[in-house]
Amino acid sequence: MTEEPFRWLEAIANRREYVQQQIATGSPVFAVSLDAGILLLGVGSGQSKVFEVFDRQAMAALGHPADIERVRNILIDAAHLEAFTRAAADVNVRRLVSFGLSPQLKQSFEQIFQAPFMINLLLAEVAEKPAQDVLVQVSFDGGFVIQHGGVMVAAAKPEQVPSVTKWLKDSIDPKLPPEKASLVLLLAWDALVRNQSLPETVDLTNGLPLACREQLTGKVVEAALLERQSVNLARYVPLTPLLTG
Amino acid sequence: MSTGIAGDFLGLLAQNNLRPLAAEASTRAPEQTHATTVFAFRYRDGVLVAGDRRATAGNVIVADDVNKIIEIDRYSLLAIAGVPAMAFEMARVMQVSFAYYRRSQLQPLSLEAKVRALARLLRENLPLTLQGVGVVAPVFATVEAQGDKMVPRIYFYDPLGAQFEAVAFAASGSGSGTVRSVLSFQERFGEVKPSTMSLNRAIRFAHDTLTVASEFDSATGGMDPARTVWPVIKVLDGNGVRDVQTAEQIAARKEGA
Repeated sequence: MTEEPFRWLEAIANRREYVQQQIATGSPVFAVSLDAGILLLGVGSGQSKVFEVFDRQAMAALGHPADIERVRNILIDAAHLEAFTRAAADVNVRRLVSFGLSPQLKQSFEQIFQAPFMINLLLAEVAEKPAQDVLVQVSFDGGFVIQHGGVMVAAAKPEQVPSVTKWLKDSIDPKLPPEKASLVLLLAWDALVRNQSLPETVDLTNGLPLACREQLTGKVVEAALLERQSVNLARYVPLTPLLTG
Repeated sequence: MSTGIAGDFLGLLAQNNLRPLAAEASTRAPEQTHATTVFAFRYRDGVLVAGDRRATAGNVIVADDVNKIIEIDRYSLLAIAGVPAMAFEMARVMQVSFAYYRRSQLQPLSLEAKVRALARLLRENLPLTLQGVGVVAPVFATVEAQGDKMVPRIYFYDPLGAQFEAVAFAASGSGSGTVRSVLSFQERFGEVKPSTMSLNRAIRFAHDTLTVASEFDSATGGMDPARTVWPVIKVLDGNGVRDVQTAEQIAARKEGA
């Protein structure tokens, strides 16, 4: 089959469709740069979605739990080897993704006799100032997007992402405390999961709306902050369980 | 999982052909630098770990500004005596290993595993130790979780990797004989036992102990406020490791004056 280029292209297209179907019900994850640090948030049904990678780096992912574990271990192995052979300051997400993770994801995706990674993830690296924060979205095929500061969303349906990202940018003041910003992220999560439109204004005076709380029933909200200012080298601080349905 | 044993950083290093403590001894080895006196003792609220700042090579003072009390993680301190080249490498391996385990396995390393990790590194250094090159005899302080409480523990090691838990205090390095004598005397016969001292009292006691050690051991730097040479002092309690900065040491001395 692989001797014929057309068959290979067809196989890759089928593969893409297959992976997208597999992660279609995945719960979106978010990363947002705040003055206090980078907030990562995901909503799971028991398995973890937000993880520490290294001193200033963390990830949030949706996809198959076994693939999330594989990717997590790839990143942690690479970060700690780099820190040991060079220095902790030399570990950064740009290099972890572009020289470590992305080529492995691409190879797995294009090797049609090998199992692809069923994953969509966000990586974050906290810096001195929010504008210097690095946020990266990595897809199952190894494609990645890097941006400095702001908001990033990884969702099962990529077409939903631009409007939600814009809404979050408009709705989240970087000065917000992480706990408050988490509630705004949960509104976006609810809209994405229920495929509803986003509210025009954010009103959280009475907490989360009933529909959102119902949607969260039986689920675990997992959030973590990569602290911008800390006496500790490791900046990852779990904020969960924020809310359990 | 990339390594044979889950969360084993040394296994990961071996897979990547990295051997942190590998070295060949030579009969023509240069004069080795030695880090000298370090000690740890219990005070009222936890454990105080202190060390002078001197490193020597024979009768030469190599440096008088060395930090020999190294924070391995938020709940562990390594006080090094012996050859700094190997000791600093061991500290670096421990720092990365503990963090690697915690992040990859999503749980902290147990007390026993932390204690054995250092013993393993000392045993890996055995060929050089037996040839008299690269001898390291550290003191390790960490905490044990007992229900909701974190209870500090002190361990000391011989250069071959045997570990011993110290009930009240431990010391290592060229000035350790004097330090042990002072600590033992104070604990048994002193009016205020170290284990009942407040932090400021314990800081002053650590200063005085190092001063006495430096009077009997030329390789121990002691303290020299006139040259702003103050020892390194760190404390470990249920909240973790904290560095006692020079200003705090000066304030503690003034309080006792």
